[in-house]
Amino acid sequence: MDSSNSTPPPVAHLELKARLLLILMAALLLGSAVYILVARGAFERTQQLVLVADDSEGIVVGMDLTFSGFPIGRVGRIELSAEGNARILVDVPLKDAHWLRTSSIFTMENGIVGGTRLRAFSGMLADPPLPEGAERRVLRGDAKAEIPLMVASVRELLGNLNALTKTDAALSAGLTNVQTATEKLNGPHGALGLLFGNEADAKKLITTLDHTNALLARLDGLALKADKQVFGPTGVMADTQATVQQLNGLLADARNSLKKVDAVLHEAQAIGANTREATNDLGALRAEVESSLGKVEHLVNEINRKWPFARATEVKLP
Amino acid sequence: MARYIYAATAPQLRGFTALSALISLIIIRIVVATTLSYGLSQYALELLIRTLVLELLPLSVALFVAVRYTMPQGEQVRNMRERGELDALWAAGGDPARDVLLPRVGAGVFAVVLLAAVSCVIALVLTYLSVYGFRAWGMAGYTRSVGQVFSPVVTLIFCMKTVFFSLAVSIIPIVYTPQPQAGDALGASAEIKVLARLFSVILLIEAVSLLGNYY
Repeated sequence: MDSSNSTPPPVAHLELKARLLLILMAALLLGSAVYILVARGAFERTQQLVLVADDSEGIVVGMDLTFSGFPIGRVGRIELSAEGNARILVDVPLKDAHWLRTSSIFTMENGIVGGTRLRAFSGMLADPPLPEGAERRVLRGDAKAEIPLMVASVRELLGNLNALTKTDAALSAGLTNVQTATEKLNGPHGALGLLFGNEADAKKLITTLDHTNALLARLDGLALKADKQVFGPTGVMADTQATVQQLNGLLADARNSLKKVDAVLHEAQAIGANTREATNDLGALRAEVESSLGKVEHLVNEINRKWPFARATEVKLP
Repeated sequence: MARYIYAATAPQLRGFTALSALISLIIIRIVVATTLSYGLSQYALELLIRTLVLELLPLSVALFVAVRYTMPQGEQVRNMRERGELDALWAAGGDPARDVLLPRVGAGVFAVVLLAAVSCVIALVLTYLSVYGFRAWGMAGYTRSVGQVFSPVVTLIFCMKTVFFSLAVSIIPIVYTPQPQAGDALGASAEIKVLARLFSVILLIEAVSLLGNYY
């Protein structure tokens, strides 16, 4: 019942074309849905990794865990543990899980530009792979948190600089002293004036130096005379050399005498050896004599006992 | 119904696809070059997907379909109403809502959803080609970036926004808006009123979606 100007013009194969449009839309919607599911990792086989952090600020569900700049995992859930720590549950696809080892380190970085980043570092790829459900502590690096500390340090540094550059500061006084010292160095007495601080002492030092020079001149003359007396043709050194030569001759004579004494000592040693042998023989002789005397005494005793006029030797007591 | 769907979609499909591809390509080049010059190229993909696919393309599709199809259709319905054709249809035992309004609304909704889907897919493809060129090695990383943007909440808001855009551009022009009286010199024409109303509703939907996405 539509009027002629309100109805669309007739189209050839209208139903087919409309059906194609419907199919196109259905295919696009279905394809987009599947693509997003794939992109969200709905069809990936994963293993779980639990990262424990003090603070979960900046962590959002779906953000990546990267290894060498490549995403290898995705945050699936964030929860608060019984100890008050944030537990970040990361789903790591099995095909990428081999990058994570038991020795891997995990960091959470808050850059000045951009969001928080979760990173994994595996230094020892020969270590055993990270087991399913492993729990690891996250090292936190916050560049923004460093800014207040840095500002405080800069402020302190500027304060120190201000204190150094004040008019009554030690540095200023030191520079004034340096200037005074430089003026004294440029003065008539130069470095001496700087060292002694007044002209009188500097003059005393100069006078002392003059006296020292005069003394050195006299010492020089004295040394010349001493040289002549010691090392001259009739000096002490020539006599000393003759004496030394005589001493060498005496020493040679003494060496010959000592050789003779040595020979005499050898002979005395030989005599001593002979005497020792003779002494040993005398010991044997003495033993024989003592034995003979014992026998004679025994014989005398026998004769006395058997002798008829032998006296009674016993003392009879009344 | 098939006739309305075809009339709402087919004439626009080619032209709008070409236009959206051109605009997308320009925006992609601008964003990629800018992020590269500032050393922020790692954020280029996410930025492009968020600005183009989530925000600009659905909005431009809605406005395009409104201007090209649903507003002329709304004018036709108003003319029919002013000529008494709808009353005559009602008197003849027909149902103007079923026979006149519903096909137009359905066609408008279909056109917005289809054109949005086509233009978004083309923008995603162009973004990949602009960043990685005609090579497949970046597909995994690119897919991952798309997945990061299309979280469940963002996807839901995107779908709802597109549906509400399609309903707004299909229903608002058909709602009866009388022409100003002859003596009302300052009164805006019915088309301007419909356009202003449509803009207001679209902006409201867009603002709500932005609130949902980013707050």
